[in-house]
Amino acid sequence: MKSKLNYLIGISLGRKIKTKWFLFANIILAIIIMGIINIDSIISLFGGDFNQKQEIYVIDNTGVAYDVFKEQLNNISLNLNVEDTNGSNYKLEKYDKSIEESKKMLEKKDSALVVVFNNDIQNVINVEIISKEYIDLVEIQSITGAINNTKVALAILNSNISMEEINNIYAPIEIERTFLNEKMNSEDENMEIIVTTVFPIIILPFFMLTIFLVQMIGAEVNDEKATRGMEIIISNVSPKTHFFSKVIAGNLFVIMQGALLIVYAGIGLFIRKLIGGSSIVGGLGNEVSNILNSVMNSGFGEKLIYILPLTLILMLLTFLAYSLLAGILASMTTNTEDFQQLQTPIMIISLIGYYLAMMAGVFKGSLFIKIISFIPFISAILSPSLLVLSQIGIIEIMISIILTIITIWVLIKYGLKIYKVGILNYSSKDLWKKMWKAIKD
Amino acid sequence: MLKLENITKYYGDFLAVDNLSFEVKEGEIFGLLGVNGAGKTTTFRMIMGLLEPSSGSISLNGKKIDYSVTDNIGFLTEERSLLTKMTVKEQCLFYGTLKGMDEEQILSRLKELLEKFGISEYYDKKIKELSKGNQQKIQFITAIINSPKLLILDEPFSGLDPFNVELFKQEIVDMAKNGSMIIFSSHRMEHVELFCKKLVVLMNGKSVLDGYLTDIKEKYRKKNILVKGDIDIEKIKNIKGVIEINEKASEYEIKIENEDVKEDVFKVISKGKNITKFEVEEPSLNEIFVAKVGESYEK
Repeated sequence: MKSKLNYLIGISLGRKIKTKWFLFANIILAIIIMGIINIDSIISLFGGDFNQKQEIYVIDNTGVAYDVFKEQLNNISLNLNVEDTNGSNYKLEKYDKSIEESKKMLEKKDSALVVVFNNDIQNVINVEIISKEYIDLVEIQSITGAINNTKVALAILNSNISMEEINNIYAPIEIERTFLNEKMNSEDENMEIIVTTVFPIIILPFFMLTIFLVQMIGAEVNDEKATRGMEIIISNVSPKTHFFSKVIAGNLFVIMQGALLIVYAGIGLFIRKLIGGSSIVGGLGNEVSNILNSVMNSGFGEKLIYILPLTLILMLLTFLAYSLLAGILASMTTNTEDFQQLQTPIMIISLIGYYLAMMAGVFKGSLFIKIISFIPFISAILSPSLLVLSQIGIIEIMISIILTIITIWVLIKYGLKIYKVGILNYSSKDLWKKMWKAIKD
Repeated sequence: MLKLENITKYYGDFLAVDNLSFEVKEGEIFGLLGVNGAGKTTTFRMIMGLLEPSSGSISLNGKKIDYSVTDNIGFLTEERSLLTKMTVKEQCLFYGTLKGMDEEQILSRLKELLEKFGISEYYDKKIKELSKGNQQKIQFITAIINSPKLLILDEPFSGLDPFNVELFKQEIVDMAKNGSMIIFSSHRMEHVELFCKKLVVLMNGKSVLDGYLTDIKEKYRKKNILVKGDIDIEKIKNIKGVIEINEKASEYEIKIENEDVKEDVFKVISKGKNITKFEVEEPSLNEIFVAKVGESYEK
């Protein structure tokens, strides 16, 4: 004979998984995740003029500006990490014709611009930039920077300083950093901004799965209550068995859905490897690749050894706490609409954690954020962010885990009493009084 | 034997069931009657263990009803308790498994019952696609799928046509013959009268009438005389003990206070013309129910 608890768990899971909507949602999720990972390949697949270089034509009326400008533009492009087969993303050419002729030439070329250097007694040089349309912001900033550097360089040249020395002057300074705290290093320092950007993306699935979990339990309990099937079920299994069947099924579902999301990401990366090159990381787009390299170089890999298990434990415990709370609230409501209203505050609490996780890097050392990071339900989102940023240590995250365990214990001890009364209650009259009485009894 | 002893149930300050006691033996069909809000559903929920009585005890074969015995109980709620997104097969498997049955047992019993109720074609249909009457049949099937020793039916005939009422009735009677204890509530007194041996009438949670149906009718002194022919209505009305006279189609129904009055009525009627019928009958349960409930309201 089947265990009634196992049977109820199976039924709950089956109701969620053996539906065309689950299949449909997962197909969409798989396509989106794999698509995002391979977005550059997809964009390339549809074609477009991706290799078009910015053409810069220079009319040098000073006779000396062109070479210096070329040198400065090259330096700026390298510092911006612009990679190309020729080491630059532009084509620079001296233009010997008049401005009027250059304008006629620009009419035929969308990606071209003309830089006109003129002598100016007061300012050494002055410059006119002519283009047919708007110029890309990064490109115009690079060109403007190179022009300003050219002006300074020309001024220095007039002071009989060689070009080589000028280049040395403009070369970035090597700065050595010393931290008295041995745990600190400059790469970790750089990582803050990266984590502030990347971590919310990593924890987004957790937030999404929490919503799935709360909605699944609420919908199931209310469905059984609304149809009065609950009376038949509770006359055959205890409310405790029923409660735990919903909680366990909900948690199994989100763990499974979470694992599926990881599988979709893995497939996406595998596809990327197949179509994008020999190394997965190397095959990623430049920006993602740079972020990953920075993260790995910063010693984050070493930190992962303890961050990952602690985060996972905290997330699983938080899922459990959310599912217990959802079950209790669902038992108190009499229909799905009421439950949806009750679940809104839960979602807002979770959302606060999400926003604070994003702001943790900005408000470094904030005592308020640190205190909030201990609060169960929020801690799973906020604590790992602070841990990664070295704003809290393992002790603090262990405290968050212990607090979540205590919350779970309280929810089981008192929540079960509410659940027993709530699931057979069909009236919202004196609801809180009834629940309070249930806790006291 | 199902035994309820001095059961009382309070919801806060509200007294829902007041010191109720009755017994249902094996093979008996017991009627729990009462107007809306009389305490019938609360009593059923207490028997099923869904509610704890404030005082008193409920036992099945000498044992307190808990989850160790509920596999032998069938329960049909007044409102639909079906999960409408499920198919008939899934629904019966769900409730059957909760009754401790294995899949093979459930499916074989389900096929047998679907055939008996003439709805075999709905085996794989979703509950929500069925008519109200057919949903009630499925609900009844889920209640008896485990061939329960105790069957509790709260308004089992709601939404059924007379033909299907007969089908249900036959199944209930067959189950009683096989030794099941059956306890049910209904607003339709003719249903109760047809196959209930014992009953309790509840009013504001309190029993106002209980016992075997034959004894109740016997103790209820008022009788009805049915007469067909040309009679002097005014003379009959003046007889002491005649309560009222109702003209019904081609006959008269004369309500009398007790059996002794029938002699005096007969004397007057025998002087009438074309008399083809003179019949003294027991009052219907409906009449007794209305009278008892009316008395309670007056109190």
